[in-house]
Amino acid sequence: MTSQTGITLETVSRSFQGRGTVVQALDNVSLDCPAGSFTALIGPSGCGKSTMLRLALGLDDATAGEIGIAGMKPQQAAKAGLTGVAFQDAALMPWRSVEDNIALPLDVLGRKRSDFSAKIAELIALVGLKGFEKALPGELSGGMRQRVAIARALVTDPKVLFLDEPFGALDQILRRQMNLELQRIWMESRATTLLVTHGIDEAVFLADRVVVMQSRPGRIGRIVDIPLARPRLPEVFTTPEFHALEDQVAEALDGH
Amino acid sequence: MATETAIGASSGTTKGETGFRHWTALRNAAILLVLWEILGRFKLVAGGALPAPTEVLIRFWSDRGDYPAHILATFQGASLGFLIGNGLAILAGILFAVSPVAARLGRGLNVAIFALPPIAISPILVLTFSGMTPRVVLAALGCYFVTMSATVTGISQTDRRMLDVVRAYGGGRLALLRLVEIRAALPAILAGLRIAAPAAVLGSILAEFGGGGRFGLGAYLIGSLGRADPARLWGIGLAATAMALIAYGIFALIEARLTRSTRAVTVAATPPGIRSEGHWLSTIAITLASIALPFIVWWLLLKVLGTPAMIAKTPAGVFDYLFLAPSATSAQTRLLAALGQTLPMTLIGMAAGLAFAFALALASVVRPGIVRSFMPVALVTQTMPLVALTPLLVLLLGRGPSVILWITISVTFFPAFVTLAQGLGMVSRGALDVVRAYGASPFAQLRLVSIPASLPYLFAAMRLAVPRALLGVMIAEWLATGTGLGNLLNQSRGYLDYGMIWTVAVVSVLISVLFYQIVIVIERQMLRKRGMQPAA
Ligand SMILES: Nc1ncnc2c1ncn2[C@@H]1O[C@H](COP(=O)(O)OP(=O)(O)OP(=O)(O)O)[C@@H](O)[C@H]1O
Ligand SMILES: [Mg+2]
Repeated sequence: MTSQTGITLETVSRSFQGRGTVVQALDNVSLDCPAGSFTALIGPSGCGKSTMLRLALGLDDATAGEIGIAGMKPQQAAKAGLTGVAFQDAALMPWRSVEDNIALPLDVLGRKRSDFSAKIAELIALVGLKGFEKALPGELSGGMRQRVAIARALVTDPKVLFLDEPFGALDQILRRQMNLELQRIWMESRATTLLVTHGIDEAVFLADRVVVMQSRPGRIGRIVDIPLARPRLPEVFTTPEFHALEDQVAEALDGH
Repeated sequence: MATETAIGASSGTTKGETGFRHWTALRNAAILLVLWEILGRFKLVAGGALPAPTEVLIRFWSDRGDYPAHILATFQGASLGFLIGNGLAILAGILFAVSPVAARLGRGLNVAIFALPPIAISPILVLTFSGMTPRVVLAALGCYFVTMSATVTGISQTDRRMLDVVRAYGGGRLALLRLVEIRAALPAILAGLRIAAPAAVLGSILAEFGGGGRFGLGAYLIGSLGRADPARLWGIGLAATAMALIAYGIFALIEARLTRSTRAVTVAATPPGIRSEGHWLSTIAITLASIALPFIVWWLLLKVLGTPAMIAKTPAGVFDYLFLAPSATSAQTRLLAALGQTLPMTLIGMAAGLAFAFALALASVVRPGIVRSFMPVALVTQTMPLVALTPLLVLLLGRGPSVILWITISVTFFPAFVTLAQGLGMVSRGALDVVRAYGASPFAQLRLVSIPASLPYLFAAMRLAVPRALLGVMIAEWLATGTGLGNLLNQSRGYLDYGMIWTVAVVSVLISVLFYQIVIVIERQMLRKRGMQPAA
């Protein structure tokens, strides 16, 4: 086990028994995310990104291989309140208000909600939902719901953060803003972060390393290091180095 | 989540349209009332068996001193039974949803409770318990299955993604229940309560038929049966109906307040825990245990209650009475004779009720107007204690075998029609459009799309109809014709023939369960061959 709050996958495989066929969602995947690192996971649809996250969260069991979160089994880490997660679809509870949805992890972990009221208010402001504290998810747009899910992922001050396409439903401008915010939050908290994304620019802008996956069977194709200095400012998007890195990732995605 | 908004959007019919519908419904009701008044005033139906609405009202007014005590008594029985039955049902539903093994073990008990004709055990309850207890028990039994299966469905249909969020933070079984599943199941549970409310009223009234207590609408109805006073019988029938409707309405309001879900009006007739995994030996063991459980519960209840063995027959006692005792052959002869009368009637009545329902539901595919004008009537009858109105039908139809058929048809027809019409309404527009695009006639559409697609709903309707048909036949036999199992039960009550009372109760439950299982087996085979899923 490498580090205090790192993520390690050792020769992990996961296959699904379909009708007559076996889908190899992950095939012999090994990945080591050191404590405090930011890793982006990119790859074609169906290559096993969400599956990898589910395994790391202890929601699913690997067919083979070992997974460690901060040196513990995924479920232990979850119970200890080390992890935070935002899923691909917001998965809010329709009967809970925005505030209450954000507080859900506290309820699950049995933490006193009153100790976190300032934190919740701060997160609501951060994701730009001030004034919607009491709104129900049914009254929000898709992008607003996703922002609630992001706030929920951050409420426990996680040491290990999993984000599955958290900005997928946001418009380009808001997405850039959220990218900047996420970088700020990450630099403050130094949570080990694993971000699944379909945006090459987003991956390059945020991550220390971009892990490019390939499908059928799901596996890691290439890992592209991103040596850009931090904090990265919006201007970096237009620099030649940035474009060069984007091209590298795009090439890896094409399977070169 | 997203579904909620989608439902809200799809249920929004335009204001003008609903206004128009209200207007036609009102107009139809007014026409009906006027017709009824004319028929009653001129004694056109069965020599005055159908009194005019005004006559019923006048009689109701002169009887007004009697009603409060009767209504209160029925209300007490029904509401206490409602509380107990639903409380147990929700707990059991949670247990079955959480533990598949418990669901498979409880299946026998659940099917027995679903299938038992309440009237068959009403005399037993009156014998074993005193005071309000028989009513409470029958009302509770009427609620149990509906709410239990609604709870199981509600919990097992919880959005998996919400469960994942809780599990991702290390939430265990209890956290899932507390934070997600019970809340997510609330709309389903409330829908169950809404359907259970009139069932509780019916249960209480049926127990009152079995005796025990001077007060209660059922007791009043039975007591007034002897007098030639149709107007009073109709008054009582309408009061019982009003009570059931109000109970239904109250829970419909609560449900509308708390949720914005769409309505399910029929009951799911599938007990949970059908899927069986694991070793075949354990499957057989669990199945056997599940069959044995109702008998064990029966035996245990009697032991706990300590009822004298002469009155309370254990499973062994019934076996003894029917096969070993000196009077066994006479008992067998009487039982077989009664079965010979009851079973054909049940099958014919059920087949006719289902056939009518199927025909009307199909006709309504070709002419959607039929559903629009008839559905409200069918829905209202869902909440009526139809079988409790048997005395009214006796007035109209006399005491011949035809009354049995009509009662059985009427109690099977309406739920079957609602199930079928709603099922056919769900046949995808797309499938119909494809054949329409090739110029298929309405009948070709029926043959190619609607009839094949309606198969799961036909079976669902059949499952619902089995216990109702037997209940309808037995009540008609008891109150009207003096034949068959219903009469045997009533007679044995008079002769204090405890063995026969228990035997009839057990045999009628067994028959109902047997029919139900036969339907399930055929359903599974037919649907599997066509790659279809059973409808709830
Ligand atoms: N529960 C399951 N049962 C069967 N197959 C599954 C299951 N979950 C995932 N799969 C299969 O595993 C593969 C990987 O799925 P996964 O959801 O991890 O893809 P993904 O990379 O997240 O795709 P996307 O970018 O579209 O979200 C897919 O082929 C999918 O069909
Ligand atoms: Mg995914």
